[in-house]
Amino acid sequence: MHPADHTLPGATGLGPVVFSRDQIRNRVAELGAAISKDYTGGTPVVIGVLTGTVMFVADLLRAMTIPVEVDFMSISRFGPPGETLGAVRVLKDLEIPIGGRDAILVEALVDTGFTLSHMLSALQARRPTSLRVCTLLSRPQRRLIEVPLDHVGFEAPDEFLVGYGLQYRGQFRQLPHIASYSPDDVLP
Amino acid sequence: MEAIENPNPPKGFAHPVEAEFARLLDFYRIPWQYEPRTFPLETDPQGNLLEAITPDFYLPTHDSFIELTTLRHALARLKHRKIRRMRMLYPDVSIKLVDRKQVVGLLIKYGRGADLPNLIGKAEVADASG
Repeated sequence: MHPADHTLPGATGLGPVVFSRDQIRNRVAELGAAISKDYTGGTPVVIGVLTGTVMFVADLLRAMTIPVEVDFMSISRFGPPGETLGAVRVLKDLEIPIGGRDAILVEALVDTGFTLSHMLSALQARRPTSLRVCTLLSRPQRRLIEVPLDHVGFEAPDEFLVGYGLQYRGQFRQLPHIASYSPDDVLP
Repeated sequence: MEAIENPNPPKGFAHPVEAEFARLLDFYRIPWQYEPRTFPLETDPQGNLLEAITPDFYLPTHDSFIELTTLRHALARLKHRKIRRMRMLYPDVSIKLVDRKQVVGLLIKYGRGADLPNLIGKAEVADASG
């Protein structure tokens, strides 16, 4: 653990560093090497889920040593009644057809498994040759439905986390590390 | 012991958090049933039910039960004990407990932080009967 970074504007609630910049850099390098080994001789399509994976995908791609294509997908988020349609929908679809291709879905954090399960079903329907999952963080203690994870960066503690793409109310994505956060609207 | 159909089928959700969770499952198109099964935990020598647990949700496509609690940890002790006993008596049944901390985390993650007092604040009384 490292001291909190209180230099960020509006950093109230920001807690200690949970995964440092160096820890992330080293682990992402290992993930990039492992994925490159998995697909030696191939050209997989790396699919990032917007917006939380932007930094992770960028670093992961630079850690890979094989030819690769990249695309991003965005889906609607669950929210208050009236602000959310009844079911999840695709806000930004892939531009690269993945049928007959090896595909790697990249997530920032898998906890309940709901979002990932939905994404996998949607992508499997496009009949890729293979579909694997790489997530930077996993919280198996919060899993409510089982989902396959092929590559996991870190097991995350049961805390609210921000940084390295993760946000709270749109903030803190730019942190180079991952820190805990105490939202001010948590009940005592 | 074997699971039985819930002898007291619910007429509605017992707690607003359960209604919200059902909405979340609908959002992700995950089929669910509300309190469909009761798991006996203890019976007397005549076979009368002394203790049982009726998990809140069953997800048929995942063959898994989910129990929600908004009670603080100390007050949720009975529920934790029931879950432990259920896991012991029904080792082939998947049951996941979503505790207060995870409920709060889910609500914040999904933008319902402002509604926390309404969704959780009155929980202790409503949930104590569950």
